[in-house]
Amino acid sequence: MPKWNDLQEQSFLESDARARAVGLVDEGTYTELAGPFDRFYSPHLEVLGEAVEFDDGIVTAVGKIGKTPVFVISQEGRFIGGSVGEVGGAKMVNTIRLAIEFHDKLVADYPDISDEEKPVVVISFETGGVRLHESNAGLLAHAEVMDQLQKARHKVPVITLIGSKVGCFGGMGFVAAATDAIVMSEFGRLGLTGPEVIEQEMGKEEFDSSDRALVFRTTGGRHKYIMGDCNVLVHNTIGAFREAVAKLAVLPVSEFEKMRRIGSPEAVERQLRAVALAAEMQPQDARDVWVKAGNPDPVALTDIPLDEFLADVKRLSV
Amino acid sequence: MSTNSTEKKWDRRSADTAERLEAASRYIGPGKQFKPEDTVALLEAVIRAGDRVNIEGNNQKQADFLAECLNKVDKSRIHDLHMVQSAVPLPVHLDLFENGIAKKLDFAFGGPQAGRVAKFISEGKLELGAIHTYLELFGRYFLDLTPKVSLICAYKADREGNLYTGFNTEDTPTIVEATKFRQGIVIAQVNEIVDKLPRVDIPADWIDAVVESPRPFFIEPLFTRDPGLVTESQILLAMLCLKGIYAEYEVKRINHGIGFLTSAIELLLPTYGEELGLKGKACTHMILNPHPTMIPAIESGWVDTIHCFGGELGMEKYVAARPDVFFTGPDGTLRSNRAYAQTAGHYALDMFIGGTLQIDKYGNSSTATASRVAGFGGAPNMGCDAKGRRHVTDSWLKCGKEMPTLDRQIGNMPRGKRLVVQGVETFGEGRAPVFVEELDAWKLAENANLDLPPVMIYGDDLTHVVTEEGIAYLNRCADIDARMAAIRAVAGYTEIGIKANPDETRQLREAGIVKTPEDLGVDRSRANRSLLAARNIRDLVSWSGGLYNPPARFRNW
Repeated sequence: MPKWNDLQEQSFLESDARARAVGLVDEGTYTELAGPFDRFYSPHLEVLGEAVEFDDGIVTAVGKIGKTPVFVISQEGRFIGGSVGEVGGAKMVNTIRLAIEFHDKLVADYPDISDEEKPVVVISFETGGVRLHESNAGLLAHAEVMDQLQKARHKVPVITLIGSKVGCFGGMGFVAAATDAIVMSEFGRLGLTGPEVIEQEMGKEEFDSSDRALVFRTTGGRHKYIMGDCNVLVHNTIGAFREAVAKLAVLPVSEFEKMRRIGSPEAVERQLRAVALAAEMQPQDARDVWVKAGNPDPVALTDIPLDEFLADVKRLSV
Repeated sequence: MSTNSTEKKWDRRSADTAERLEAASRYIGPGKQFKPEDTVALLEAVIRAGDRVNIEGNNQKQADFLAECLNKVDKSRIHDLHMVQSAVPLPVHLDLFENGIAKKLDFAFGGPQAGRVAKFISEGKLELGAIHTYLELFGRYFLDLTPKVSLICAYKADREGNLYTGFNTEDTPTIVEATKFRQGIVIAQVNEIVDKLPRVDIPADWIDAVVESPRPFFIEPLFTRDPGLVTESQILLAMLCLKGIYAEYEVKRINHGIGFLTSAIELLLPTYGEELGLKGKACTHMILNPHPTMIPAIESGWVDTIHCFGGELGMEKYVAARPDVFFTGPDGTLRSNRAYAQTAGHYALDMFIGGTLQIDKYGNSSTATASRVAGFGGAPNMGCDAKGRRHVTDSWLKCGKEMPTLDRQIGNMPRGKRLVVQGVETFGEGRAPVFVEELDAWKLAENANLDLPPVMIYGDDLTHVVTEEGIAYLNRCADIDARMAAIRAVAGYTEIGIKANPDETRQLREAGIVKTPEDLGVDRSRANRSLLAARNIRDLVSWSGGLYNPPARFRNW
């Protein structure tokens, strides 16, 4: 593991799950929960004769950013594509549960506690969703994580980070969409059905998954930022993601309600207006929507440096 | 003195061409244009059974429409063609043999069709003339393999039939000159016909007919390596190369191969290279396609000159904006030229560095596998010591001076030597060992009935082998036994490497013939991706100031 200072400059895209988790919290505050030495690994993979990992591809930890206790969940795409099975899912569920219980205890013991002293959960996604080897247990794990997200509402903000190679797809795409805030880099991708599966089911004319430019301008960070699915778009370093989390972590939990995609009648109405717009526009390409959002030169928008993009881009409002 | 009725005719070739063009004249309109739907009929009019035919099949751009049409001719009339062309990368090139239209092939590079070439040879569908290097084949275009009909491609034609080949000029001038000046027939497919060309690359009177192709010609971004895929092992190798070879010899004039090792070297120039103080002392003159991974080094002021074999998709604007470095025309766009770049590559380079699939215990290397007749394109011309070279550079002299046995061949006469470097991980693609007892080329020679095993670089031309174990300075070896020992010493845990004798290796290290990373003072722990000047394609776009426009498949943002 590189030194903490070096981690801050390290590419988020190229970092493994543990490097991301360690670098996201303050130096010296990282404590791993159910780490590799505890050997919680998948019983299903073992039965199938597949290789296991002693953290089941999900790193869970607690640390601090400033005064904020931060519960970190970080998924490892290099282990079976970051797929979530029974054990990894349970680690996610219990990390969020711990954060909620810790929140409740803090509030009970210290009624005057400030917002920045209350815990947050950060999930660094790198996954295609359910681990097919343990499909039922994996699906159940997704539902249980969603359940915890509901329990965390109005108490513990849950912040999504997406900027790793695999992106965030499948069932975990739903999970990410149900969190309070989403931070992405331009290399991050967020979606439900992955590009290869769309092509397989609907044909190459519908979606050419080998056209990476098309894939990224449909699922990538810049597009998600324009669409409002992503709240904060940052540079590709662990430090930049950490800085975004630090800014969010001090906000009162009520502020997060405004960033959410779903979970209130207003949010649902906004989503319905977006669906109506899509039906009316019949966009052939993400760029059509960028133009609709008020960006006259959508082609240039892809390649301009990120700072210029953030300064100039118009985001869709419906 | 007297003339009689049996007077020898000296213009039979041009008369024959005139007769054929007369038969085709009804398809050819003003500006030498013909319609795409008449293409098959036109080819049937100008091509005769047994003709020697060239389909412009370059390393990159392809006369694919004309190749498809040639497959549709009436094979009862047109058959037994002798194809002479640089490369046969498209399925249609081999379909000609399957369809009984072509019989014999002389070429330089097989690419994706290499497996079918081997299969057709063994089935008797294809008679192989020879596998050449590009320069060798170009030479024979002007000697004994001149095409009668050439089917070429260009970006644009004007209304008179002048052609613009631009960025991807590649082989076109060579093919056209050989064909037309031997009274042959040249037919061009172009992407569009315009009123005014940016510049004239091929004059209209060297062209007999032009067709606007129904779709743009196929072109492949062969030289784009995503920095995101460069491994730490390749970075270590690149550090060894820079410190143990580039700095040791101060090599200025270089060709980099196509692989990830040389991409890693390119991406380390502005970081590790700069740290070694090599800027201005190495890599100043390059023979290269416009590799996107060269952008950071070019932007950092390392490179004086680059001449290109061909182009590279997405690099058009960048190259046009750097005319001090690249060879661009009065119109501002690059003109590549494979023949000239290969000539420079053969005679004027001080070093060739690249990778291979296999190296045998003697140092012979080949990318041939048992079932593919692939050829080596230009690598053998650059990966050898050009014996005709007479001019002197410091690195060439130093490499020659280190040879302990030169006197056994030419007495006390001094002479330099080209550095020929193979950089490989001891276990390469698919974890296959690179160092082997016997090259697969021997099996291929047997399977495809070749006279010689196809060798890319012969052991006596190879001067340096670089692996993660270190560098073997083969030019410093007195005899074949010492060379084999030096190769064993860097061959890792392959069947060759495990035969290394520790005492012998120690002696080689003491003699400076083998150097490990530690001997060279290269810190292995620094071999990580943070040392790369660009870590992904996006970084290359940023380095280029937005001028590099990567093809869709390389985009991840």
